[in-house]
Amino acid sequence: MPPLDRRTFLHLAGGAGLAAALPSALAAEGGDLAKAKAEGRAVFYANITAVEPVVAAFTAETGVKGEYTRISSSKFVSTVVTEAQAGKLLADVVQAPLPVLELLREKGILAPYRSPAAAGFPDWSRPDDSIQMFGIEYVSYLYNKTQVKDADAPKRYEDLADAKWKNRIVMADPASHASTISWLVGLKEKVFASENDWMTFVKGLAANRPMFVASFGPTPAPIESGEKAIGISMPKYIVTKAPAPLAWGPRGGQPLLGTPRAMAITAKAPHPAAARVFMDFWLSPKAAGMLAKDVGEYVLTPGVFPPIDGIHAAKVLPIRDLDDAEIQKWGAQFKQIFKG
Amino acid sequence: MNDRSARLTYGLIAIVGALTVAPVAMLAFGSFTAGLDAFGHFTLAKYVAAYTDPALLKVLGNTVIFVVGSTLLATVLALVLAYLNTRTDIPGKFLFGVLAIVPMMIPHVLFSVAWALLANPSNGLINRALMDAFALDSAPFDIYSLSGMILVEGLLNMPIAYLIIAPAMASFDVSLEESSRVFGAGTWRTLLRITLPVLRPAILAAFVLGIVRSLASYAVPRVLGMPGRVEVLATYLFEMISVGFAPDYGKAAALGMSALATSIVLIWVYRSLTSEGGRFVTISSRGWRPTVVPLGRMRMPLFALVTLLSFIVIVLPVAVLAYTSFVPYSMVPSMQAFAQMSWRHWTEVFADATSLLALRNSVFLAVVGATVGVVLSIFVAYVIVKLRTRGAALLESLTYLSFSFPGIVIGVGFMWFFVHTPLYATLTALLVGYIATYLPYGVRPLASAFVQVHAHLEESSLVCGASRMTTMRRIIVPLLIPGVVAAWILMATMFLRELTLSVVLSRPGSEVLAVQILGFADDGLWGKLSALGIVMIAISTALVLLASLVGRWFASGAKARLEANA
Amino acid sequence: MEIRVEGLTKHYVAEGRTVKALDRVDLTIPANRIFTLLGPSGCGKTTLLRCIVGLETPDDGEIRIGNEVVWSRARGVAVPTEKRGLGMVFQTYAIWPHMSVFDNVAYPLQVRGVDRATIAKKVAAALQFVQLVGLDRRSATRLSGGQQQRVALARALVAEPKVILFDEPLSNLDAKLREETRKELKRFLGELDITAVYVTHDRVEALALSDSIAVMRAGSIVEIGSPQKIYFHADHRFVADFIGRANLIPATVRGQADGLTMIDCALGAFACAPRELPPGSEATLCLRPEFLHLHEGATRPGHNVVTGRIESLAFVGEVYEAEIRAADLLLLARTGPDTALREGDTVSLAVEPEHCLLVSA
Repeated sequence: MPPLDRRTFLHLAGGAGLAAALPSALAAEGGDLAKAKAEGRAVFYANITAVEPVVAAFTAETGVKGEYTRISSSKFVSTVVTEAQAGKLLADVVQAPLPVLELLREKGILAPYRSPAAAGFPDWSRPDDSIQMFGIEYVSYLYNKTQVKDADAPKRYEDLADAKWKNRIVMADPASHASTISWLVGLKEKVFASENDWMTFVKGLAANRPMFVASFGPTPAPIESGEKAIGISMPKYIVTKAPAPLAWGPRGGQPLLGTPRAMAITAKAPHPAAARVFMDFWLSPKAAGMLAKDVGEYVLTPGVFPPIDGIHAAKVLPIRDLDDAEIQKWGAQFKQIFKG
Repeated sequence: MNDRSARLTYGLIAIVGALTVAPVAMLAFGSFTAGLDAFGHFTLAKYVAAYTDPALLKVLGNTVIFVVGSTLLATVLALVLAYLNTRTDIPGKFLFGVLAIVPMMIPHVLFSVAWALLANPSNGLINRALMDAFALDSAPFDIYSLSGMILVEGLLNMPIAYLIIAPAMASFDVSLEESSRVFGAGTWRTLLRITLPVLRPAILAAFVLGIVRSLASYAVPRVLGMPGRVEVLATYLFEMISVGFAPDYGKAAALGMSALATSIVLIWVYRSLTSEGGRFVTISSRGWRPTVVPLGRMRMPLFALVTLLSFIVIVLPVAVLAYTSFVPYSMVPSMQAFAQMSWRHWTEVFADATSLLALRNSVFLAVVGATVGVVLSIFVAYVIVKLRTRGAALLESLTYLSFSFPGIVIGVGFMWFFVHTPLYATLTALLVGYIATYLPYGVRPLASAFVQVHAHLEESSLVCGASRMTTMRRIIVPLLIPGVVAAWILMATMFLRELTLSVVLSRPGSEVLAVQILGFADDGLWGKLSALGIVMIAISTALVLLASLVGRWFASGAKARLEANA
Repeated sequence: MEIRVEGLTKHYVAEGRTVKALDRVDLTIPANRIFTLLGPSGCGKTTLLRCIVGLETPDDGEIRIGNEVVWSRARGVAVPTEKRGLGMVFQTYAIWPHMSVFDNVAYPLQVRGVDRATIAKKVAAALQFVQLVGLDRRSATRLSGGQQQRVALARALVAEPKVILFDEPLSNLDAKLREETRKELKRFLGELDITAVYVTHDRVEALALSDSIAVMRAGSIVEIGSPQKIYFHADHRFVADFIGRANLIPATVRGQADGLTMIDCALGAFACAPRELPPGSEATLCLRPEFLHLHEGATRPGHNVVTGRIESLAFVGEVYEAEIRAADLLLLARTGPDTALREGDTVSLAVEPEHCLLVSA
């Protein structure tokens, strides 16, 4: 059965309320799986790191070889667009922060696909018919729990502006690091009551003269080693860097924010059936469990949480999709505040 | 003969040009094109945007201090070491060979990170030790500063300068110095008035290469400059292409054109400053031995200094890496840290199929890439030094083209280029890109080596009836062995740790070590990163030893045959 | 084998100026003779040699070696160096430092694909010829300058070329060794049927070695002849001056008398060796110091006699060299080591007419 027919069928089935009656999402893949096996492999471009075990599990489970190339988000659009324009896009499935996939979709590089495996995800995880979000690259502050006693630890975002943390914070450069910029803007929109409160917080944080690094990657090491006490970083490091003495906040009910992680199939995928099989697998509870457990990812699969103390009770919200012009505008402003 | 020289020159110009002009041309197109690709509507907007930022002036100021400072440090260190090694009776000369090579094998990111651990102002090991020892209130060193960056970049660039200066120093005609002494000049005056000016070509060559290299360098500014809030061109470019999700490489390329222009101008200035015969130290044809300068009372103190330098440049960073690879997370050395040491990161790295593939690919690229690169470099150096045909100057400039473009941008140029060829996404693309970008690493040492082969040695082979190829094979190449070994080592160690191109060009199946290391760095996994880094250094060491042994075997080949027959 | 050079031209551009290294040179180098190109540095002699061997490409002209045209612009022929079958000894010897003496000498045979047994035999013969027996296994770098020179010669001879070229081969040897080697070289070459082209700026070397000498200046050949002809009967002032020490005095020809040519010059009237020169024409009188006979005291002025005063007297070993002021000219003369003359003495100088050489003005 050609893919279009199958999708039409699924839509019809969904419309008729039959989707729930299907034995399982993967079972419906019978036809695709055979084709995928014939295609042999699925090529996955992603900015998410350390997911080799998930890709290996895909290969083991489906018999289709998963090939993963890590492309950093700053080179993602440029790489994929260059390849696509030369007619040489190798990727079957692409995974990147939501804004990146939005850009690719506008350029007609993505194909529509709605994976049955994501049926239980919240509605906002499907902004259109090609992009599927599956997790949130959640950002928050981490601190060294051997250096910072629980009583002293910051309870709320506002506490980061406390002068006692002067010269003791590490963060990615807020003038250039897109995720950090988005996070700061997200706090304004989703956490602080007024723009004034937020600006007071940002200026207080800047007054503490945080040490800047290039991205989130170098943030945990200075916290672990005690060079700095607090870092604006990713709670997933508590999992990947165990047994490092890292703890996260805020635990008092303020939400955690992050850019959604999204994925999609490419329009001219060299292995279209394998692409669908890959995406179905990636969105399955099994893969989500691996992402959460091994990599500390926050996934949208209901009931699956990373093994981090208290994270299941946290509210993790997606940050509004900021376009490049807005990121650059805020970046310039933060540069003024933090470095001016 | 003229015809053949011209054919060889233009053939090489075509090859090197195709290799190095293509990516730069793509970037040039990109910088004049609206949108994010290399081709499209013409615009000057990117140049206007790139060059009208008021912050640029400060950045350029920092860049000049950083680049000139680190290059001066590297050149002066290399000069002192080369002088001590080739001309004095300092003990422990093997240290110099090690000193010259090891820093090339350490990935620059790791070297910088190691220095951050050693000398960060909060809890850097050296700072803490000094604060404890002398009861200081504040840290004496801040590695996150312009001077810290100069120190680390200088140490990293020192080996290249050393490998260029040391051979010239070794083949220096001592009678020039002796005559200066006879005319009543003291050791210092002789050094300043005779030795250094005569060595000027080599020193300038090292200096220019250092400037070009540090202008394109990114690791040190990223790891040390960013925390210290010292912005230089490389980090400024990084910021330009990392704010937002659809970075405009064309705009970065527009700025990169200045770096390129600066480098090209420098190379031309260098060529004109050392025009014609003055370019290279000429060597008298008779056998001579450089006199050894006795250091006297300074002998042991200087040796201690060299030992200290070796400790700082080699032992400390490698020890930091080894330590980091054994502790579970970044910890300050303590009893607790030593108690928690394990092989965990090592077993994880070796269990990772991608890391193993990356290892294989990198070794392949290092060995094959360096070999092909050296063969090409031999011909290029031959034209530049020996034939000196009309196109030689052009050829020499071409070899620097990709090399002098800021690293984080040139990779994109190569991608824009390769995507239009069947090489895209193959290991061969990496191979070609590496050779194109790092050609000066092969050409420079070989050019110096060629200088030492007197034209008569080659001409007499022709007169004896040997063809040009036979002459190359039997006379020139054997005499070039030291240069060939140096070039091969430079290229192989560079290719083994190459990051800037690889991160853009590697695809499934063509993963390489440095990209794998970068992945670990992005995840903050310093332990795995250090383990893989040490593996990388070990492989580099093995390659260096192999190259030296093969070189020695070739060099002693004649001697061995003599003794066997005697 | 004879070498013929016709209209050979070679220009260099150096510092924006065009230098004529060779300016339409015509030359025939006779077979099986020692032929020397002599001249000051920069006269084009080395360029000419390198054009013959093929290491430089002329701009114009033709070169034949034997019956073969090896280079001709008009015919578009350019036989590469390695196909010209020549032997050459370089100024630096160009001994390959990474090879043994044996390998150095065997090289021309090896590249011609000669079998090993023959190579061994011929190398041994060549080394014997240059008296280096027993050194064949030594590393070439561990030889003295003289030994290296002989290895270079053996290498040039081993393939039995019909032409051998020497580019100032003795200039790197010390004076005594140079003299010995020069004699040996003459003997070696005398024993072979070979055309030798020898480049030097040393007139003694040229005179002692050559069957024929071509004196060059500024890219042209000024004069060709036997050593005796060049020394005693040079046509050109430049040649007379270059080939030996000479007092050169401007002169005007008066006429021919008694089979001699009569001239006037600042020293007075002289009878000279006959030259076909019209009366009234300008010439240069060339007086070699060794033919000026010194006598104490003034003499009556007459033909070929001059009175002067010794300004300086220098002992140089086998002779005294005297500078004598006569008629405002400073003349160089020689006298025996046992002379009683002192500085300041008045002397008379006499010279036989056959030693009064007239050369071009």
